[in-house]
Amino acid sequence: MGRQFAKMELAPIAKEIDEEGRFPWEAVEKMGSLNLFGIQAPRQYGGAETDSISYCLVIEEISRVCASMGLMLAVHNGVVVHPVSQFGRDEQKAKFLSPLVAGEKIGAFCLTEPNAGSDAMAIESTALKEGDSYLVNANKIFVTNGGVADILIIFTSVDPGNVKKGFSAILVERGTPGFEVGLLENNCGMRANPVSSIILNDCRVPKTNLLGQEGEGFKVAMAALDNGRIGIAAQAVGIAQGALDASLRYAKERIQFRVPLSQHQAIQLMLADMGTMVEAARLLTLNAAHVKDRGGDLSGPSAMAKLFAGRAASKVASMGVQIHGGYGYSKDYPIERYFRDARATEIYEGTNEIQQIVIARELLKRGEE
Amino acid sequence: MDIVVCIKQVVAGDRVKIDPRTYNLVRSAEFSYINPLDLFAIEMAVQLKKEQSATITAVTMGPQISEEVLWEALTLGADRAVLLSDPRFSASDTLATSYVLGMGIRKIGKFDLILCGMRTTDGDTGQVGPQLAEELDVPYISAVEKVKGEKGSFRVERVSDGFREIVEVSVPALFTISSKTAVRLPSLIAIQDTFTRNSIECWNLEDLNADPDKVGRAGSGTWVEGLTPTAQKKSCVLIEGDPRQQARILLSKLLEKNLLS
Repeated sequence: MGRQFAKMELAPIAKEIDEEGRFPWEAVEKMGSLNLFGIQAPRQYGGAETDSISYCLVIEEISRVCASMGLMLAVHNGVVVHPVSQFGRDEQKAKFLSPLVAGEKIGAFCLTEPNAGSDAMAIESTALKEGDSYLVNANKIFVTNGGVADILIIFTSVDPGNVKKGFSAILVERGTPGFEVGLLENNCGMRANPVSSIILNDCRVPKTNLLGQEGEGFKVAMAALDNGRIGIAAQAVGIAQGALDASLRYAKERIQFRVPLSQHQAIQLMLADMGTMVEAARLLTLNAAHVKDRGGDLSGPSAMAKLFAGRAASKVASMGVQIHGGYGYSKDYPIERYFRDARATEIYEGTNEIQQIVIARELLKRGEE
Repeated sequence: MDIVVCIKQVVAGDRVKIDPRTYNLVRSAEFSYINPLDLFAIEMAVQLKKEQSATITAVTMGPQISEEVLWEALTLGADRAVLLSDPRFSASDTLATSYVLGMGIRKIGKFDLILCGMRTTDGDTGQVGPQLAEELDVPYISAVEKVKGEKGSFRVERVSDGFREIVEVSVPALFTISSKTAVRLPSLIAIQDTFTRNSIECWNLEDLNADPDKVGRAGSGTWVEGLTPTAQKKSCVLIEGDPRQQARILLSKLLEKNLLS
């Protein structure tokens, strides 16, 4: 279904929405009716409650054709719907989860600030208690889905003097007085995703919007990211597969020295390496999904999957450009889009270096067997 | 109302491989999918089910891997799925296929309506629908676009030779469907439910109580004697001159080949 949907609805617009930097609302409603906004969410709230393997396959197939929409879904499902399902109280789930799962509302995850990102504890955002509400101030940047999000998880501190103690997750709705969508980022890839800054200026939010407990924000963020990384890994696998698809097609079409490129050994060697990297990335990703489904410790496997798949996507797309030669550098072929899109998967939801820290920590913790 | 939809797994057009010895299609799960024209028949059944209560049973004959199209039919709204599979069914032509399908439908039992696609994209004969109607001795209407169920009969619309015909037919009946409804994709919930709640029933020759002489090669009235690929010759003609002249030459060539009438 994911593959057919991507082929029918996204393939015809992927190039155009990338060039125009346009969010394709026309596809969103259809994705909602196919349950793509609540892939793993509980049935009770309208979700499909699939396992993580199915989740990866859907994200991969969408990203294979349109990485911007793969990203939109991976963030919405992986780091918004998932933590709200996991940490939300029943009344929060009824209020926030149902419209998110139906695709009537789009979610965003707001951790990064000008001086915080990989270093989450450096956030400067504050949420001061005032009666039944929090007065939230925040300057969040690089917010995926920011320009279209209705329900946002804001990471902030309820104790400005002690961020570690006060680190909390609060659900904020677009339209709350003091809520403002800042400028859209002019990114090199993922251009159909309205990545923006989000500014909260004395935004009054009811205390009932606190996700988890006060001081539990770091736990919420890390659980969301451990899970989200599987989605981003699947997205990277999709981009890599898409780049390989485009390269295989081109290598069979393009004639040089009177034979198709695909008959030149130099090209075959590249294709073989690309295919192997895609498959290895896919298996690591599905392994992380499998660990999650079994209820195992996710941090190491999901970090490994994201690290490897992100690198594979960049490398495969870059080799794809090489196979395309001059046409690979031109906007006339889709490979340059894969090349631009792939690069982001090594940066967001934890850079490669952060994944390496997580992986090393897990390895060292485990020690010798 | 009890509806039976007959479907087939076909091999993707550019992946068709023929066994050089038997001239049978070589199937692979990876490049096979549901015959696209059968989707219209499933869609018609689902539409009828929406209008009045109905049970939809999807049936296919083929090797074990063709159960994939039955799963697909279940995700799209079929309630029950039956695979007619037996090594002795292989090499069946359309006549033997119709016999096997007919025996399967007899075993299913009660039916008011059988829906088939107009033809398949691989065999392309369009014979199984009418032969199955003959086998089961029920009235048959081809190229049906609309069906309305009434008490004891159906009113159907079909388009043929530029005319829209409205036909009334008694129950039970068999239609081949030619409506061009947009292909609907199953939701994730439908897929998830299908795989957790359903199963595929698989019947072989004995289950059907079928006559071994009427299936496979033995039961076929036709068989493929030989097969040679025909190369399509394409040649490219460059039209020269200024754009106006080029357009005129192109137009005259198209008219000459009767391509604009």
